[in-house]
Amino acid sequence: MQHKNSMEEVDEERSLTMDLSVPFSSIREAEIAYRTLSVDKEPKRGGVKKTFTLNEKVLQIHFQAKEARTLRVSVNSFLDHLTLVTQTIEQFGPPVDT
Amino acid sequence: MVVVIGFEGSANKIGVGIIQDGVVLSNPRRTYITPPGQGFLPRDTAKHHQGCVLQVLKEALDQAKLNPNDIDAVAYTKGPGMGAPLVSTALVARTVAQLWNKPIIGVNHCIGHIEMGRLITGSDNPTVLYVSGGNTQVIAYSQRRYRIFGETIDIAVGNCLDRFARVLKLSNDPSPGYNIEQMAKKGTKYFELPYTVKGMDVSFSGLLSYIEERVPQILKKGEYSPEDLCFSLQETVFAMLVEITERAMAHCGSQEVLIVGGVGCNERLQEMMGKMAEERGATLFATDMRFCIDNGAMIAQAGWEMFKSGQITPLEETWCTQRYRTDEVEVTWR
Ligand SMILES: [Fe+2]
Repeated sequence: MQHKNSMEEVDEERSLTMDLSVPFSSIREAEIAYRTLSVDKEPKRGGVKKTFTLNEKVLQIHFQAKEARTLRVSVNSFLDHLTLVTQTIEQFGPPVDT
Repeated sequence: MVVVIGFEGSANKIGVGIIQDGVVLSNPRRTYITPPGQGFLPRDTAKHHQGCVLQVLKEALDQAKLNPNDIDAVAYTKGPGMGAPLVSTALVARTVAQLWNKPIIGVNHCIGHIEMGRLITGSDNPTVLYVSGGNTQVIAYSQRRYRIFGETIDIAVGNCLDRFARVLKLSNDPSPGYNIEQMAKKGTKYFELPYTVKGMDVSFSGLLSYIEERVPQILKKGEYSPEDLCFSLQETVFAMLVEITERAMAHCGSQEVLIVGGVGCNERLQEMMGKMAEERGATLFATDMRFCIDNGAMIAQAGWEMFKSGQITPLEETWCTQRYRTDEVEVTWR
Protein backbone atom coordinates (compact mmCIF):
# COMPACT_ATOMS: atom_id res chain seq x y z
CA MET A 1 0.00 0.00 0.00
CA GLN A 2 1.53 3.32 -1.01
CA HIS A 3 0.25 6.80 -0.72
CA LYS A 4 1.84 10.00 -1.96
CA ASN A 5 1.06 13.03 0.05
CA SER A 6 2.22 16.22 -1.58
CA MET A 7 1.01 18.94 -3.88
CA GLU A 8 4.31 19.59 -5.51
CA GLU A 9 6.97 17.39 -7.03
CA VAL A 10 10.34 17.59 -5.35
CA ASP A 11 13.47 16.83 -7.35
CA GLU A 12 14.75 13.51 -5.92
CA GLU A 13 18.41 13.99 -6.79
CA ARG A 14 18.89 17.40 -5.23
CA SER A 15 16.83 16.90 -2.12
CA LEU A 16 17.26 15.86 1.49
CA THR A 17 15.53 12.67 2.52
CA MET A 18 14.65 10.99 5.77
CA ASP A 19 13.10 7.60 6.43
CA LEU A 20 11.07 6.68 9.44
CA SER A 21 9.83 3.22 10.47
CA VAL A 22 7.10 2.97 13.06
CA PRO A 23 6.22 -0.49 14.40
CA PHE A 24 2.74 -1.17 15.84
CA SER A 25 1.50 -4.08 17.90
CA SER A 26 -0.90 -5.33 15.24
CA ILE A 27 -1.57 -4.95 11.53
CA ARG A 28 -4.93 -3.40 12.33
CA GLU A 29 -3.38 -0.72 14.55
CA ALA A 30 -0.76 0.08 11.95
CA GLU A 31 -3.54 0.43 9.40
CA ILE A 32 -5.50 2.80 11.66
CA ALA A 33 -2.44 5.01 12.16
CA TYR A 34 -1.74 4.95 8.45
CA ARG A 35 -5.29 5.89 7.49
CA THR A 36 -5.37 8.63 10.15
CA LEU A 37 -2.02 10.23 9.38
CA SER A 38 -2.12 10.07 5.59
CA VAL A 39 -5.25 12.23 5.21
CA ASP A 40 -3.69 15.67 5.75
CA LYS A 41 -1.81 17.21 2.86
CA GLU A 42 1.52 18.96 3.30
CA PRO A 43 1.22 22.74 2.83
CA LYS A 44 1.43 23.58 -0.88
CA ARG A 45 4.49 25.79 -0.70
CA GLY A 46 6.23 23.79 2.06
CA GLY A 47 8.46 22.02 -0.47
CA VAL A 48 8.19 18.72 1.41
CA LYS A 49 6.99 15.40 0.01
CA LYS A 50 5.81 12.67 2.33
CA THR A 51 5.28 9.12 1.11
CA PHE A 52 3.60 6.47 3.27
CA THR A 53 4.14 2.74 2.91
CA LEU A 54 2.36 0.20 5.06
CA ASN A 55 4.31 -3.01 5.56
CA GLU A 56 2.27 -5.34 7.78
CA LYS A 57 2.77 -4.00 11.31
CA VAL A 58 5.24 -1.32 10.26
CA LEU A 59 4.33 2.10 8.92
CA GLN A 60 7.11 3.64 6.86
CA ILE A 61 7.30 7.29 6.00
CA HIS A 62 9.70 8.74 3.46
CA PHE A 63 10.32 12.48 3.67
CA GLN A 64 11.83 14.45 0.87
CA ALA A 65 12.55 18.17 1.04
CA LYS A 66 14.54 20.93 -0.60
CA GLU A 67 15.75 22.48 2.62
CA ALA A 68 16.75 21.18 6.06
CA ARG A 69 14.56 23.82 7.65
CA THR A 70 11.33 22.72 5.98
CA LEU A 71 12.23 19.07 6.51
CA ARG A 72 12.63 19.67 10.23
CA VAL A 73 9.28 21.46 10.49
CA SER A 74 7.52 18.68 8.63
CA VAL A 75 9.16 15.83 10.59
CA ASN A 76 8.61 17.60 13.92
CA SER A 77 4.94 18.09 13.36
CA PHE A 78 4.60 14.55 12.01
CA LEU A 79 6.18 13.14 15.19
CA ASP A 80 3.77 15.19 17.34
CA HIS A 81 0.87 13.80 15.33
CA LEU A 82 2.21 10.26 15.54
CA THR A 83 2.54 10.54 19.33
CA LEU A 84 -1.06 11.73 19.63
CA VAL A 85 -2.38 8.90 17.45
CA THR A 86 -0.34 6.29 19.35
CA GLN A 87 -1.57 7.59 22.70
CA THR A 88 -5.15 7.56 21.44
CA ILE A 89 -4.80 3.92 20.39
CA GLU A 90 -3.24 3.03 23.76
CA GLN A 91 -5.93 4.78 25.81
CA PHE A 92 -9.03 4.14 23.70
CA GLY A 93 -8.14 0.90 21.90
CA PRO A 94 -7.72 -1.89 21.15
CA PRO A 95 -9.72 -1.77 17.93
CA VAL A 96 -13.10 -3.55 18.02
CA ASP A 97 -13.64 -6.47 15.65
CA THR A 98 -14.93 -5.37 12.30
CA MET B 1 -31.78 6.66 19.90
CA VAL B 2 -28.80 8.23 18.20
CA VAL B 3 -25.67 9.20 20.12
CA VAL B 4 -23.00 11.40 18.53
CA ILE B 5 -19.67 12.50 20.02
CA GLY B 6 -18.25 15.80 18.78
CA PHE B 7 -14.67 17.12 18.76
CA GLU B 8 -13.98 20.87 18.54
CA GLY B 9 -10.55 22.47 18.44
CA SER B 10 -10.58 25.17 15.75
CA ALA B 11 -9.33 27.99 18.00
CA ASN B 12 -8.03 28.18 21.59
CA LYS B 13 -10.59 25.82 23.12
CA ILE B 14 -10.53 22.07 22.95
CA GLY B 15 -13.88 20.45 23.67
CA VAL B 16 -15.49 17.03 23.45
CA GLY B 17 -19.26 16.74 23.80
CA ILE B 18 -21.82 13.95 23.60
CA ILE B 19 -25.40 14.45 22.39
CA GLN B 20 -28.16 11.90 22.57
CA ASP B 21 -31.26 12.96 20.62
CA GLY B 22 -31.16 16.61 21.65
CA VAL B 23 -29.86 15.99 25.17
CA VAL B 24 -26.36 17.10 26.13
CA LEU B 25 -24.87 14.19 28.07
CA SER B 26 -21.47 15.81 28.60
CA ASN B 27 -19.51 18.75 27.26
CA PRO B 28 -16.10 19.25 28.92
CA ARG B 29 -13.53 21.67 27.48
CA ARG B 30 -10.21 23.37 28.17
CA THR B 31 -9.06 26.83 27.14
CA TYR B 32 -5.54 27.77 26.14
CA ILE B 33 -4.92 31.00 28.05
CA THR B 34 -1.96 33.18 27.06
CA PRO B 35 -0.32 35.90 29.21
CA PRO B 36 -1.79 39.45 29.14
CA GLY B 37 -0.91 41.30 25.95
CA GLN B 38 -0.41 38.09 23.96
CA GLY B 39 -2.62 36.35 21.45
CA PHE B 40 -2.61 32.62 20.77
CA LEU B 41 -0.46 31.27 17.95
CA PRO B 42 -1.41 28.20 15.87
CA ARG B 43 1.55 25.98 16.87
CA ASP B 44 1.31 26.69 20.61
CA THR B 45 -2.44 26.23 20.50
CA ALA B 46 -2.03 22.89 18.71
CA LYS B 47 0.45 21.78 21.41
CA HIS B 48 -2.05 22.75 24.08
CA HIS B 49 -4.80 20.72 22.42
CA GLN B 50 -2.51 17.72 21.89
CA GLY B 51 -1.61 17.81 25.57
CA CYS B 52 -5.16 17.62 26.91
CA VAL B 53 -7.54 16.30 24.24
CA LEU B 54 -7.36 12.70 25.49
CA GLN B 55 -8.10 13.75 29.08
CA VAL B 56 -11.09 15.79 27.84
CA LEU B 57 -12.28 12.81 25.79
CA LYS B 58 -12.08 10.57 28.85
CA GLU B 59 -14.08 13.10 30.88
CA ALA B 60 -16.73 13.31 28.16
CA LEU B 61 -17.23 9.52 28.19
CA ASP B 62 -17.15 9.27 32.00
CA GLN B 63 -19.60 12.14 32.58
CA ALA B 64 -21.99 10.71 29.99
CA LYS B 65 -21.57 7.26 31.60
CA LEU B 66 -21.14 5.77 28.15
CA ASN B 67 -18.95 3.16 26.55
CA PRO B 68 -17.59 3.70 23.07
CA ASN B 69 -19.97 1.02 21.77
CA ASP B 70 -22.97 3.19 22.80
CA ILE B 71 -21.85 5.84 20.31
CA ASP B 72 -23.31 5.87 16.79
CA ALA B 73 -21.07 8.41 15.07
CA VAL B 74 -18.02 10.63 15.55
CA ALA B 75 -18.19 14.30 14.48
CA TYR B 76 -15.25 16.71 14.25
CA THR B 77 -14.70 20.29 13.14
CA LYS B 78 -13.50 20.38 9.55
CA GLY B 79 -13.16 24.19 9.54
CA PRO B 80 -13.02 27.14 9.45
CA GLY B 81 -10.28 27.83 11.96
CA MET B 82 -6.54 27.58 12.58
CA GLY B 83 -4.90 24.75 10.64
CA ALA B 84 -2.65 23.11 13.23
CA PRO B 85 -5.23 23.00 16.07
CA LEU B 86 -7.91 21.72 13.65
CA VAL B 87 -5.67 18.88 12.46
CA SER B 88 -4.63 17.86 15.99
CA THR B 89 -8.27 17.48 16.96
CA ALA B 90 -9.23 15.69 13.74
CA LEU B 91 -6.44 13.12 14.28
CA VAL B 92 -8.06 11.95 17.51
CA ALA B 93 -11.53 11.86 15.93
CA ARG B 94 -10.23 9.78 12.99
CA THR B 95 -8.39 7.39 15.29
CA VAL B 96 -11.32 6.69 17.63
CA ALA B 97 -13.77 6.40 14.72
CA GLN B 98 -11.62 3.54 13.40
CA LEU B 99 -10.89 1.98 16.81
CA TRP B 100 -14.61 1.90 17.60
CA ASN B 101 -15.64 1.22 14.00
CA LYS B 102 -18.01 4.22 13.74
CA PRO B 103 -18.80 6.54 10.83
CA ILE B 104 -17.16 9.97 10.90
CA ILE B 105 -18.70 13.32 9.94
CA GLY B 106 -16.85 16.55 9.11
CA VAL B 107 -18.76 19.52 10.49
CA ASN B 108 -18.65 23.20 9.56
CA HIS B 109 -17.91 25.07 12.79
CA CYS B 110 -20.40 27.89 12.07
CA ILE B 111 -23.17 25.38 11.42
CA GLY B 112 -22.28 23.80 14.77
CA HIS B 113 -22.95 27.14 16.49
CA ILE B 114 -26.24 27.62 14.64
CA GLU B 115 -27.60 24.12 15.33
CA MET B 116 -26.57 24.27 18.99
CA GLY B 117 -28.25 27.67 19.35
CA ARG B 118 -31.44 26.34 17.76
CA LEU B 119 -31.42 23.26 20.00
CA ILE B 120 -30.80 25.10 23.28
CA THR B 121 -33.15 28.04 22.70
CA GLY B 122 -35.87 26.21 20.77
CA SER B 123 -35.91 28.96 18.12
CA ASP B 124 -37.31 27.67 14.86
CA ASN B 125 -36.16 29.79 11.97
CA PRO B 126 -34.11 32.67 13.35
CA THR B 127 -31.95 35.28 11.72
CA VAL B 128 -28.57 34.39 13.20
CA LEU B 129 -25.81 36.72 14.32
CA TYR B 130 -22.62 34.70 14.64
CA VAL B 131 -19.97 36.68 16.48
CA SER B 132 -16.64 35.33 17.70
CA GLY B 133 -12.90 35.88 17.61
CA GLY B 134 -12.73 34.50 14.08
CA ASN B 135 -16.13 35.21 12.57
CA THR B 136 -18.76 37.93 12.21
CA GLN B 137 -21.74 36.97 10.06
CA VAL B 138 -25.46 37.61 9.79
CA ILE B 139 -27.06 34.42 8.53
CA ALA B 140 -30.54 33.35 7.47
CA TYR B 141 -31.78 30.00 6.21
CA SER B 142 -33.23 29.73 2.75
CA GLN B 143 -33.49 26.84 0.30
CA ARG B 144 -31.21 24.33 1.98
CA ARG B 145 -28.41 26.77 2.80
CA TYR B 146 -27.48 29.01 5.67
CA ARG B 147 -26.99 32.15 3.60
CA ILE B 148 -24.69 34.94 4.67
CA PHE B 149 -26.54 38.25 4.48
CA GLY B 150 -23.82 40.40 5.93
CA GLU B 151 -20.37 39.95 7.37
CA THR B 152 -17.20 41.73 8.33
CA ILE B 153 -15.07 42.86 5.43
CA ASP B 154 -11.89 42.69 7.52
CA ILE B 155 -11.41 41.41 11.10
CA ALA B 156 -13.97 39.67 13.32
CA VAL B 157 -15.62 41.65 16.10
CA GLY B 158 -14.15 39.32 18.74
CA ASN B 159 -10.71 39.84 17.26
CA CYS B 160 -11.23 43.61 17.49
CA LEU B 161 -12.21 43.33 21.17
CA ASP B 162 -9.37 40.88 21.96
CA ARG B 163 -6.78 43.11 20.34
CA PHE B 164 -8.01 46.12 22.21
CA ALA B 165 -7.83 44.13 25.45
CA ARG B 166 -4.19 43.41 24.59
CA VAL B 167 -3.52 47.13 24.12
CA LEU B 168 -4.85 47.72 27.64
CA LYS B 169 -2.94 44.62 28.87
CA LEU B 170 -6.12 43.07 30.25
CA SER B 171 -5.99 39.46 31.40
CA ASN B 172 -6.89 36.69 28.92
CA ASP B 173 -8.47 34.74 31.78
CA PRO B 174 -11.23 33.64 31.34
CA SER B 175 -11.20 35.60 28.07
CA PRO B 176 -10.19 39.10 26.98
CA GLY B 177 -13.75 39.83 25.83
CA TYR B 178 -15.17 38.97 29.24
CA ASN B 179 -12.75 41.37 30.90
CA ILE B 180 -13.62 44.17 28.46
CA GLU B 181 -17.29 43.57 29.28
CA GLN B 182 -16.64 43.94 33.03
CA MET B 183 -14.59 47.12 32.48
CA ALA B 184 -17.26 48.57 30.17
CA LYS B 185 -19.87 48.26 32.92
CA LYS B 186 -17.93 50.90 34.86
CA GLY B 187 -17.47 53.23 31.88
CA THR B 188 -19.65 56.35 31.62
CA LYS B 189 -18.08 58.78 29.17
CA TYR B 190 -18.53 58.06 25.48
CA PHE B 191 -15.51 58.55 23.26
CA GLU B 192 -16.62 59.02 19.66
CA LEU B 193 -15.33 56.26 17.35
CA PRO B 194 -15.65 55.66 13.60
CA TYR B 195 -18.85 53.77 12.81
CA THR B 196 -18.47 51.67 9.66
CA VAL B 197 -21.48 49.94 8.17
CA LYS B 198 -21.40 49.39 4.41
CA GLY B 199 -24.75 48.08 3.25
CA MET B 200 -25.07 44.69 4.90
CA ASP B 201 -21.42 44.53 5.91
CA VAL B 202 -19.33 45.93 8.75
CA SER B 203 -15.67 46.85 9.17
CA PHE B 204 -13.70 46.92 12.41
CA SER B 205 -10.05 47.34 11.45
CA GLY B 206 -10.22 51.11 10.86
CA LEU B 207 -11.97 51.60 14.16
CA LEU B 208 -9.42 49.44 15.96
CA SER B 209 -6.40 51.31 14.61
CA TYR B 210 -8.14 54.63 15.31
CA ILE B 211 -8.53 53.81 19.00
CA GLU B 212 -5.16 51.98 19.23
CA GLU B 213 -3.32 55.06 17.98
CA ARG B 214 -5.03 57.37 20.44
CA VAL B 215 -5.01 55.26 23.59
CA PRO B 216 -1.64 56.37 25.04
CA GLN B 217 -2.49 60.08 24.61
CA ILE B 218 -6.04 59.78 25.88
CA LEU B 219 -5.00 57.91 29.01
CA LYS B 220 -2.10 60.30 29.64
CA LYS B 221 -4.40 63.29 29.47
CA GLY B 222 -6.80 61.51 31.79
CA GLU B 223 -9.84 62.69 29.83
CA TYR B 224 -11.16 59.16 29.50
CA SER B 225 -10.49 56.14 31.69
CA PRO B 226 -9.73 52.64 30.30
CA GLU B 227 -13.27 51.77 31.46
CA ASP B 228 -14.70 54.60 29.33
CA LEU B 229 -12.80 53.30 26.31
CA CYS B 230 -14.06 49.73 26.79
CA PHE B 231 -17.57 51.12 27.13
CA SER B 232 -17.24 53.26 23.99
CA LEU B 233 -15.78 50.42 21.95
CA GLN B 234 -18.56 48.02 22.93
CA GLU B 235 -21.34 50.56 22.32
CA THR B 236 -19.99 51.34 18.85
CA VAL B 237 -19.29 47.84 17.55
CA PHE B 238 -22.50 46.39 19.02
CA ALA B 239 -24.59 49.19 17.46
CA MET B 240 -23.08 48.27 14.09
CA LEU B 241 -23.94 44.59 14.62
CA VAL B 242 -27.50 45.36 15.69
CA GLU B 243 -27.96 47.56 12.63
CA ILE B 244 -26.98 44.90 10.09
CA THR B 245 -28.94 42.21 11.97
CA GLU B 246 -32.06 44.39 11.90
CA ARG B 247 -31.62 44.97 8.18
CA ALA B 248 -31.41 41.22 7.53
CA MET B 249 -34.52 40.63 9.67
CA ALA B 250 -36.44 43.26 7.75
CA HIS B 251 -35.31 41.73 4.47
CA CYS B 252 -36.36 38.22 5.50
CA GLY B 253 -39.45 39.25 7.44
CA SER B 254 -37.99 37.34 10.37
CA GLN B 255 -39.57 37.35 13.83
CA GLU B 256 -36.67 35.63 15.59
CA VAL B 257 -33.06 36.58 16.18
CA LEU B 258 -30.46 34.19 17.58
CA ILE B 259 -27.01 35.25 18.76
CA VAL B 260 -24.28 32.58 18.73
CA GLY B 261 -20.48 32.51 19.09
CA GLY B 262 -18.17 33.57 21.89
CA VAL B 263 -19.07 37.28 21.76
CA GLY B 264 -22.73 36.22 21.93
CA CYS B 265 -22.58 35.75 25.70
CA ASN B 266 -21.86 39.47 26.14
CA GLU B 267 -24.85 40.75 28.11
CA ARG B 268 -24.64 44.27 26.72
CA LEU B 269 -24.88 42.91 23.16
CA GLN B 270 -27.84 40.78 24.21
CA GLU B 271 -29.48 43.83 25.81
CA MET B 272 -29.05 46.02 22.73
CA MET B 273 -30.25 43.25 20.42
CA GLY B 274 -33.19 42.57 22.75
CA LYS B 275 -34.28 46.20 22.55
CA MET B 276 -34.18 46.16 18.76
CA ALA B 277 -36.13 42.87 18.67
CA GLU B 278 -38.75 44.23 21.05
CA GLU B 279 -39.31 47.30 18.88
CA ARG B 280 -39.92 45.02 15.90
CA GLY B 281 -42.16 42.68 17.86
CA ALA B 282 -39.57 39.93 17.44
CA THR B 283 -37.99 37.56 19.95
CA LEU B 284 -34.33 37.39 20.94
CA PHE B 285 -32.70 34.02 21.62
CA ALA B 286 -29.28 33.69 23.18
CA THR B 287 -27.32 31.10 25.15
CA ASP B 288 -24.87 31.31 28.02
CA MET B 289 -21.14 30.59 28.13
CA ARG B 290 -21.56 26.82 28.17
CA PHE B 291 -22.93 26.79 24.64
CA CYS B 292 -22.00 30.19 23.13
CA ILE B 293 -18.30 29.65 23.49
CA ASP B 294 -16.81 26.92 21.27
CA ASN B 295 -17.60 23.47 22.65
CA GLY B 296 -17.74 19.84 21.57
CA ALA B 297 -21.51 19.40 21.95
CA MET B 298 -22.22 21.93 19.18
CA ILE B 299 -20.20 19.81 16.75
CA ALA B 300 -21.98 16.69 18.03
CA GLN B 301 -25.37 18.38 17.49
CA ALA B 302 -24.65 19.46 13.90
CA GLY B 303 -23.12 16.00 13.35
CA TRP B 304 -26.29 14.41 14.76
CA GLU B 305 -28.45 16.32 12.25
CA MET B 306 -26.13 15.43 9.38
CA PHE B 307 -25.94 11.77 10.40
CA LYS B 308 -29.72 11.45 10.74
CA SER B 309 -30.14 12.91 7.27
CA GLY B 310 -27.59 10.48 5.82
CA GLN B 311 -24.49 12.64 5.56
CA ILE B 312 -21.23 10.97 6.50
CA THR B 313 -17.65 11.70 5.40
CA PRO B 314 -15.41 9.01 3.85
CA LEU B 315 -12.30 8.71 6.04
CA GLU B 316 -9.97 9.66 3.18
CA GLU B 317 -11.88 12.95 2.89
CA THR B 318 -11.69 13.94 6.55
CA TRP B 319 -9.13 16.67 5.99
CA CYS B 320 -9.41 20.08 7.57
CA THR B 321 -9.74 23.41 5.87
CA GLN B 322 -8.94 26.82 7.34
CA ARG B 323 -11.52 28.48 5.09
CA TYR B 324 -14.94 26.89 4.97
CA ARG B 325 -17.89 29.15 4.34
CA THR B 326 -21.19 28.60 6.09
CA ASP B 327 -23.08 28.62 2.78
CA GLU B 328 -20.91 25.85 1.28
CA VAL B 329 -22.82 23.21 3.27
CA GLU B 330 -26.03 21.76 1.90
CA VAL B 331 -28.51 21.67 4.77
CA THR B 332 -30.09 18.25 4.30
CA TRP B 333 -31.84 18.20 7.68
CA ARG B 334 -34.27 21.12 7.37
FE1 LIG C 1 -16.78 29.57 17.25
